Amino acid sequence: MTHSLHRRGDYESLKEDFVVLGCPATGVNKAGSAPKTQNFLSICYKHGPVNLGDMKTGNIYNTTMDDILASVTDGTIVQCTFDNRDKIVALITELKERRPGISVVISGVTDVVQQCMHEAGLGSIHSLEYSLGTWGKTERLPGYAVLKLLTMCGHAMIACDLVGKMVRDVKRGRRTIRSCVVELAQCCTCGNFNLTRAEKIFREVLSTYMVNSLY
Amino acid sequence: MKADKDKCIACKRCFPYCPMGRIQTFQRHDKIPGRVYIEIDQDQCTDCGMCVRANICPVNALYQEVADWPREIRGILSNPLIEFKGSQVPGRGTEEMKTNDVKGSFLPGEVGVGVELGRPGLGAYFRDVEVVAMALMEAGIGYKLADENPVTHFMSDKSTGKLRDDVLGEKATSAIIEGKCKLEKLPEALKALQGAAEKVDTVFTVEVITKVTPAGDVPIKSVLEEAGFWYSINSKNNLGLGLPAFDFYGKGGAA
Repeated sequence: MTHSLHRRGDYESLKEDFVVLGCPATGVNKAGSAPKTQNFLSICYKHGPVNLGDMKTGNIYNTTMDDILASVTDGTIVQCTFDNRDKIVALITELKERRPGISVVISGVTDVVQQCMHEAGLGSIHSLEYSLGTWGKTERLPGYAVLKLLTMCGHAMIACDLVGKMVRDVKRGRRTIRSCVVELAQCCTCGNFNLTRAEKIFREVLSTYMVNSLY
Repeated sequence: MKADKDKCIACKRCFPYCPMGRIQTFQRHDKIPGRVYIEIDQDQCTDCGMCVRANICPVNALYQEVADWPREIRGILSNPLIEFKGSQVPGRGTEEMKTNDVKGSFLPGEVGVGVELGRPGLGAYFRDVEVVAMALMEAGIGYKLADENPVTHFMSDKSTGKLRDDVLGEKATSAIIEGKCKLEKLPEALKALQGAAEKVDTVFTVEVITKVTPAGDVPIKSVLEEAGFWYSINSKNNLGLGLPAFDFYGKGGAA
């Protein structure tokens, strides 16, 4: 469960945000899947993802592409994040032609993903998972702009307080927005964090987010 | 997670990295005069390991003890680097719809209903997980739990969704209940979850899975719209590229 379908944001914010997963199936094609997953990763890498990794090894901001590729074993689930619709069309076109054999899932705005598939000549989505939102004690959640950043992590490893600290650091001139989003990406080991989108959101957060914490 | 009180200098650098928020308190060292160290609230900590992975402690005071049952389930469900052996899948859930194209886990007429409690930033105690699981099972909709899901493994009675008593006080960064029912039962399942939402002291996300028809129709869309449930513009989409393709319609090929 990458949680990528629960990313917060409106259409404008999400339309260029795609998480692509390569997933072997236990009991079907998991045995001997490592070369297929490596092939899938290599194809994705060629199309210029903004982030890429697997949750056990880390992402390209924690380690190297060579390390990620070498660490792939049978059953490894890999994720690549893209910030550009045209790249997704090109990627789907190549995946359709070279067919690595493992299951491929793309999280994103449903209509945009479907459009990209049509443009790549792939037809309809096979199976789909909708988010029905967040229920329960939602009043305990942080503000919407911060949630847009936090929900980009696949396993909820980005702390709300870390965003607050970074906003304070940037406002005080201690560090750049880019260095902040790279560190946020390092917290999210699986490679789901979209740094391009994060930079835009961070700029929004900067102008609206008040920092009153003492640490 | 714990901070070694003989090493910790209470510099607070680890504080903002905790996904559970401010769960640390300051303590005076009983043997070193003037020394203050931090203590991590063991009830609130989910053993996710983020503070250690952040590599932020200047004196390497943070560490994770090898936990015995039932505390070990905190790390299993919270630390993304730990794989739950029961599901053989890294992460907190199962392969769910990710491999539906080759496994046929969700057939036409079926709908997957998943509930993930605790994220972002709140965490979930298993007593709340039990409330949601029991609500789904008590709804009488034939909800079939995913066998390989970690939460299912922690149940003492899978027919009622009752969890083992010894895990109820444990907490995870997030915990997922996964299962499926017939498409026509979806509104009842969601109403049961609405009831559970009022009883839990955390948040949960709700996700529903369906096989899209070869013509591109999404069967759950009209059901959700008729029942008045909001769904997001973004979704997880299986492209159907896995091999060998599962034969959904008995035609000997994928669709």
